[in-house]
Amino acid sequence: MAITGLNSIRTFTNAASQRVINACPTMTISSGKVNKTLSWIGKHISSPENRLILGVTALMSQPFIDLHNRKVDEDTRKVSAARTVAKIIAGTSTGVAIRYACIKAIDAFTEFPEKITASTKHPCLKTFFTPFEAIKDGLKDLRHYKSALGTLVSLGVMVFTNFLIDAPLTKFLTNKFVDRIHEKDKEKPVQNKEVRNVA
Amino acid sequence: MSLKPSFLAPFNEFVAKHYGKDTGKMLIHTGVVGWILSAAAQVMAIVVNDKIPKEQKMYLVPQELADAGVNILSFYAITQSAKSLASNLVKTGKLLPKSICGILESKGLSDKIGKMDFNVFEDAGLSATATKRLESFKSGVDVVATTVGSVLSCNIVTPLVRNEIAANRQKDLVARMHNADTNHSSYVKPGYANTKRPSMYDFTNNSGSLKI
Repeated sequence: MAITGLNSIRTFTNAASQRVINACPTMTISSGKVNKTLSWIGKHISSPENRLILGVTALMSQPFIDLHNRKVDEDTRKVSAARTVAKIIAGTSTGVAIRYACIKAIDAFTEFPEKITASTKHPCLKTFFTPFEAIKDGLKDLRHYKSALGTLVSLGVMVFTNFLIDAPLTKFLTNKFVDRIHEKDKEKPVQNKEVRNVA
Repeated sequence: MSLKPSFLAPFNEFVAKHYGKDTGKMLIHTGVVGWILSAAAQVMAIVVNDKIPKEQKMYLVPQELADAGVNILSFYAITQSAKSLASNLVKTGKLLPKSICGILESKGLSDKIGKMDFNVFEDAGLSATATKRLESFKSGVDVVATTVGSVLSCNIVTPLVRNEIAANRQKDLVARMHNADTNHSSYVKPGYANTKRPSMYDFTNNSGSLKI
């Protein structure tokens, strides 16, 4: 009964996927530059770069979504946007730095066994994260493995830094931005007055 | 020189087996784990905070879990769909570099392009060099699709959905409090007891859910 159900889900998913694929045009990438760029992205872009892209695009979209949220009053909208900007800056900077540092750290302890010689200091430490079985089975490039392991370790680290760095930094930056907004709001009527006086 | 695997060997092998060649998959799974850990940390912060009354905790914890549900579901659904679509496009031959397309044409496989049961990696009999070239092309397409999917879900869909939910929640809360004030009713819904109206100070100083 359960197997029949699973099979019908699979058939439905395949049919839906086929429809989506039929709707897409056939695309042939003839430009050598585009092909090279895609290969480069596949090799070099990993979680720190992904988090950076997420942060930059978040700065370009989320504050504007908050500023145009018509369901709350203007002051709340401004404070909400300020808090969003602070959250993005704090989260992105710590997220990128910690991911990058963890991947670097894993890199230092993941050496191919054939590169370890008698003169290598602390050989066990140098291969602490080396996946021996996977290498035996033919894994030749450890770049993706190191990124994955580094990212997983960084997630554990970030559970703590989320409270130790992100939250206080977000609060500090939000207060700074909100103070700026309130100062500007106070300046507005004064400026109008001056203009009126000059007129 | 004989080297002994560390005590972490099973974990290392697991990571190598599942993510050793597929960065796109790793980005999706670590993204989901990141959202889960963020939410768990947020819930823990509420649970262990002595300054929050028990009644409020009963309201705040499910609210935080609901937010986490929205974040995780939208992230996974959108990002996984984008990656699956990109992978299927390459696998079925709908999106290929010109050199691989030429190979398919020369082997008379053009009519199979776009069929779900056709796998260019297995059915086209590509040489080792061509397979390697196609694998790195697919890896790039996967990373681009995953990144576009996560940008779309984290930066557009999730904030819009969350703003909508938060605005409705705030409206509901204020309306209930207004009712309680005007009716002088002795009944207060659990979770609303000891709750004062949300002020701008509360709004600014509540850290909310921070994506890690």
